[in-house]
Amino acid sequence: MKHDGTSHDGRLHETAQRLGQRAADRLDVDGIARQVLQRLREEPARQTTWIHQTWLRIAAAVVILVGGAFALRSVWSNSDAGNHVAHFVADDLNDLSTDELEAVLTSFDDLITVDSVAVPESSDDLRELDAQQLRQVLRSLEG
Amino acid sequence: MAQPQPVPAASDAALISAWQAGDEQAAAELVGRHARALARFLAGAGAPEADLDDVVQETFIRAFRGVERFRGQCQFRTWLMTIGGNVLKDLARRSARRQVMPLDESVRDGAGDPHEHAEAREAEAQLAAGLKRLPRLQREVFLLRAQQGLEYEEIAVALATTPGAARVHYHHAVRRLKEIVE
Repeated sequence: MKHDGTSHDGRLHETAQRLGQRAADRLDVDGIARQVLQRLREEPARQTTWIHQTWLRIAAAVVILVGGAFALRSVWSNSDAGNHVAHFVADDLNDLSTDELEAVLTSFDDLITVDSVAVPESSDDLRELDAQQLRQVLRSLEG
Repeated sequence: MAQPQPVPAASDAALISAWQAGDEQAAAELVGRHARALARFLAGAGAPEADLDDVVQETFIRAFRGVERFRGQCQFRTWLMTIGGNVLKDLARRSARRQVMPLDESVRDGAGDPHEHAEAREAEAQLAAGLKRLPRLQREVFLLRAQQGLEYEEIAVALATTPGAARVHYHHAVRRLKEIVE
């Protein structure tokens, strides 16, 4: 190999070539070879362990991903179902007559306490409400 | 009387194939062939002398375990040195608080002129200190070029760069080392 440039580069190369020489001379090469071979003989068992650990980690990751996906899917489908029901209830309310709305409210009276319903302040009795007010009450019940 | 013909040494490639076929002696032969050159490179790159045996050993272990990745893209020795650089990096990460001393100043060589020895040792210590201040790529390119005598093409393959980039890294390293040494 040619030295690059000046004689100073040459000195730098000479110094670099001496670097670590004494440490390398003291190296126990035969001992290192023996230890390397011994560790390599142990490798198959360690590799098997590594493979088992890796597969376990992969399996755990798959379980978490699939479980998470199912959980998200169920949350989204419940949310969609809720919107769907609300939509139909609202549509149905528009089609009901005053008498029919009163009948619905009567059945609700058995299930829900009056305290939880937003009744217009001017009225004490649900039966006195007109169709528009009854729709308002029912919508408040939908939450 | 005919002299016995010397048996030609097996190539690295042949020894690697033999090792892959289960010949442990081939692996031992590769260790014997390259361990000292690897140790010089590692010492220059900052391996503490106390850990040099372990770093060399770990480098060979990793090399033999991953030998299927070596496809003759560069010399086996060069490939070993790139693995050694990674082992050294891992060692430095694990023992960040430990000071890395590439040269053992306590060990003295009694032969020769003591003054010359002292000067040579001082130059080595300065170079070692300068190398520690270089970025890893510059340091390794410099050592592969100046210490191991490799061509830029070989260095480029080993360090996954281009010969032109390796040349630039080398010149940057030399410039900075001259500043430090002077």
